[in-house]
Amino acid sequence: MLSILVWAPILGAILIGCLPQTLVAQRGRQISLIIASLLLAYSLYLASQFDLMNPGLQFSESLPWIDSLGLTYQLGVDGLSLPLVVINSLLTWLAILSSDPRINRPRLYYVLLLVLGSAVAGAFLSQNLLLFFLFYEVELIPLYLIIAIWGGARRGYAATKFLIYTAVSGVLILSAFFGLSLLSGFSSFDYGVLQSHTLPLTTQLILLSTLLVGFGIKIPIVPLHTWLPDAHVEAPTPASVLLAGVLLKLGTYGLLRFGLGLFPEAWKACSSVLAAIAVLSVLYGSFAAIAQTDMKKIVAYSSVGHMGYILLAAAAGTSLSLLGAIAQMISHGLISALLFLGVGVVYAKTGTRDINVLRGLLSPERGLPVIGSLMIVGAMASAGIPGMMGFIAEFIVYRSSFEVFPIQTLLCMIGTGLTAVYFLIMINRVFFGRLPDHLANLPPVRWMDRIPAVIVTMLIIFFGIQPSWMMRWSEKTAVMIATERLGRELTPLVAVEPDRVAMDLPLSQPPVALKAPFVPAASLPASLPVLRLNDLKNDVQSD
Amino acid sequence: MNQLLYQTSWWVPVYGLAGAVLTLPWSIGLVRRTGPRPAAYINILMTVLALIHTGFVLWAVWDHPPERLLIPWLSLPGFDLWLTFVTSRTSVGAAFVITALSLLAQVFALGYLEKDWALARFYALMGFFEGAMTGIALSDSLFLSYALLEMLTLSTYLLVGFWYAQPLVVSAARDAFLTKRVGDLLLLMGVVTLSTIAGSLDFTHLDLWAATVQLSPTVAGFLGIALLAGPTGKCAQFPLNLWLDEAMEGPNPASILRNSVVVACGAYVLIRLEPILALSPLALNVLMILGGMTAIGASLVAIAQIDIKRALSHSTSAYLGLVFLAVGTQQEEIALMLLLTHGIAKALLFMSVGSVILTTSTQDLTEMGGLGSRMPATITAYMVGAAASIGLLPLGCFWAMLEWAQGVWATMPWLIGILLLVNGLTGFNLVRMFGLVFGGQPKPKTRRAPEVIWLMALPMVTLTIVTLLLPLMLYQWRGLPDWSQVNPLTIGLLLGSGLVGCGAGVFFYLNPKVEKPVSLVGKSIRETLAYDFCIDRLYKISVVLGVVQGARFTAWFDRYVVDGFVNLVGVASIFSGESLKYTISGQSRNYLLTLFVGVILALMMLGWFYWSWYF
Repeated sequence: MLSILVWAPILGAILIGCLPQTLVAQRGRQISLIIASLLLAYSLYLASQFDLMNPGLQFSESLPWIDSLGLTYQLGVDGLSLPLVVINSLLTWLAILSSDPRINRPRLYYVLLLVLGSAVAGAFLSQNLLLFFLFYEVELIPLYLIIAIWGGARRGYAATKFLIYTAVSGVLILSAFFGLSLLSGFSSFDYGVLQSHTLPLTTQLILLSTLLVGFGIKIPIVPLHTWLPDAHVEAPTPASVLLAGVLLKLGTYGLLRFGLGLFPEAWKACSSVLAAIAVLSVLYGSFAAIAQTDMKKIVAYSSVGHMGYILLAAAAGTSLSLLGAIAQMISHGLISALLFLGVGVVYAKTGTRDINVLRGLLSPERGLPVIGSLMIVGAMASAGIPGMMGFIAEFIVYRSSFEVFPIQTLLCMIGTGLTAVYFLIMINRVFFGRLPDHLANLPPVRWMDRIPAVIVTMLIIFFGIQPSWMMRWSEKTAVMIATERLGRELTPLVAVEPDRVAMDLPLSQPPVALKAPFVPAASLPASLPVLRLNDLKNDVQSD
Repeated sequence: MNQLLYQTSWWVPVYGLAGAVLTLPWSIGLVRRTGPRPAAYINILMTVLALIHTGFVLWAVWDHPPERLLIPWLSLPGFDLWLTFVTSRTSVGAAFVITALSLLAQVFALGYLEKDWALARFYALMGFFEGAMTGIALSDSLFLSYALLEMLTLSTYLLVGFWYAQPLVVSAARDAFLTKRVGDLLLLMGVVTLSTIAGSLDFTHLDLWAATVQLSPTVAGFLGIALLAGPTGKCAQFPLNLWLDEAMEGPNPASILRNSVVVACGAYVLIRLEPILALSPLALNVLMILGGMTAIGASLVAIAQIDIKRALSHSTSAYLGLVFLAVGTQQEEIALMLLLTHGIAKALLFMSVGSVILTTSTQDLTEMGGLGSRMPATITAYMVGAAASIGLLPLGCFWAMLEWAQGVWATMPWLIGILLLVNGLTGFNLVRMFGLVFGGQPKPKTRRAPEVIWLMALPMVTLTIVTLLLPLMLYQWRGLPDWSQVNPLTIGLLLGSGLVGCGAGVFFYLNPKVEKPVSLVGKSIRETLAYDFCIDRLYKISVVLGVVQGARFTAWFDRYVVDGFVNLVGVASIFSGESLKYTISGQSRNYLLTLFVGVILALMMLGWFYWSWYF
């Protein structure tokens, strides 16, 4: 029952809306927290029921709605959307948990957060293009209001900018969907039906580039990104967490699902352009982040950079790189959530996010040592230090994209180095040094402030040490997209014949030397042959 | 029993990491009542366990061929990552040395950091440090080694930044992280490339692959240089050498490890990568040029330092340069031996220096003097450490240097010049420091200088004895050269260079007739050396400049061009709306006129279209 994920938060929002004002003021947070917890538990339950061997849609639901328009209520989840649905539930829960208990107008606030979670879940689940568009637009309203009501000083400007950009993005996406439906002659918006269209490449390219601009605004790719730093700076912390953690993923998800999924030939034709855009985004975002002085802007520009990796991997379009793209979506979702949570606490306690004003916050008694340590973890995870999930996601992205776009991948890797630069600047300025007098009387940090960040940190480290828990949901789907839609061979595993066999032998024996000779990488660098390790997993597992 | 030991060898790094995790309740302030000491005890206990475990594995593996242990980690379609460990005499021996030195350094730290409030955090980082290093020693996978090197980078950053309230510490930590990160990034590029073209990241496979593969010189060259960059950063070789000197702002017990085994980890990975580097003569040449430049340059720079720790750290760079040269001439055994002997001697020197610093509360050599009679254990440790560092007495490094000289004698005899220069200059520098610290008259800061407490003296004395016994151990393991093979000329040259260096040191610094401070060269040369050949300026006009200007330009472009355009569109639409507002007068005749003119225009257009179509 996927509908629960969409409608339960709406019901919860209605419930909160009907409760008396005094009760919401006292208990609104707890009530919405309970709803969000139930949703999180339910999405985890769904994940536990998810069939890992099935690459296609699962838990599908279908109800006719407006047949004349081709609009049906179709939901389904596969390996591409499942992790994002779970992340959405998790971050919605964390956003409510990290909300200020004494926030103004609590009723509206919690209603909007729940509606936002519902719309995003709906967008990830819809299997009908129009339905996706509806959810995509619905998500815009609560976020606009959250920024416009609870935002910072320039909230009007930021919220309007966000609204206009995203609305334009929605119009472009809708026009591409209409174009596809009209030109293909299916008079349906069913994703499964539209996949079988036979449009000529030129038409596909036009539609794909419309989609690319539409979703590119959401991702955001350079130069369509300027709404993001403003929106982040003005948004309250929970909104920033959701914005960076899930809403940006709508863009990459849309590109993968609709861009790649519906126009595979065109995708392959313009993949090198996409890779070039990815490089531009990565380097531009990273360089711009170095020059910022607002902590939130640093994290926002770092998002621009890190979303570029997803685009690079998506452009490469091998099964491994698609898997890397999904992993990078998850890891960026959690890592940027952690960073925004940390910045939120710093801002709440000190009243500023300016790295030229803040100093020495790691001070053990009067500063924010735990939050500072968690921020260091977040920064290091973002910079790709092993042991945290950012590293393995980026490693897979690099490793897989290198086969297709070696130069672009190497350029993107410079972005990793630059990530270290700007986060180190931030940490050195804000957390290291001596705590100045004007920051010496900070309000105490309670454990409630730390718990959201602690939870995310634990997840980041857990998935960093045990990445297969993050990857295994999407394996089959990624392989299916790459092989069936893009027609890429899952490269036959060349028999390197390593001494994996040694695992079967008693360990006291000397390791078996290579039985078969290596297949030398003969024609370098023209074709970069790939020798892969055998599917010895089975050998080991049977051992 | 042996099997069990092999299979559990991957626990060795886990002990350190577990110790680090277990200290969390104290380091984040959950437990306050007990003070931070229990965290230290837990970590020391973990290190003892690791040492015992490594000892058993070493005993089991001693007479056996290497064994590999494969742990499946991540299996993706078409791509498998394994954590591969190898238990060979070398790898387990390296892990043993690391854990032993880590244990000594941790006990030493109990005394050195006795009154530090953040003791628990320090021990957490030391556990992390030790875990990562033993992991590198045991790893048989380039992927795992790379990951652990990065973790070493992180823990170096945090250890150097341990006293983060001081400005110098902050910039030192930043430089340490970024310099190493540059190297690691290039290494990552190499790792990704290698993973793609070789198909496996296990050293065992890479060796076999390198033996058969034919790479174009360009690819091999770039690959080699990328792989070389990681160890260059880790081993503080030119041009990534500045961080080690600055890292001396960190606490001394961490410096003991950093100058002995952490830098050795980089070289260890380099040794494992040597077969791939050997694919490209260019990479090997670069390796040797960097090693040679650092060996000579750092030896000279060390002499011009007045900070006691920095003077020693530059000589670490110099010795690692010798190791680079040994790898460049493809003599891994000698490189490993030099790493071992240098590591132990340098650790001892740093312990002794740490005692001096704690007692005198200064790191400035010019403020010291006359400590010799007051600190017997410390002076003994210093003398033994210094003697074991240079080729003069038949202690550790003498034998390693002899082997080194023997090795290059056949292929590139002129390289011996570098060795002799390093030996002589290091001898001079160590005697100079000895004279300034222990000789001469007491100064204000050294007047009241008791010997350190037993927690520091015990590891120091232990290591002194080990250093003295090291040649015997090497003899037992047949690590010493065969006398019949030894060229008397090399011995003579080695001893001569050591004697000249030390003699000059004695003449200038232990001779009361020579006025202090001694001025050997002109001011300009002295300052160039004291500021490390102004290499920070080189960074400033190259990498730093590029990044800063790139960032400034991007931010400017972002603000004024991209965002400016967006805002311009917004302002233009608002402005046009606002100005159109003033055309509204409220008088009905104006509206009628507008309407009328509009209808006329529309009709004219319609008529024009109609007629033009008609004719």
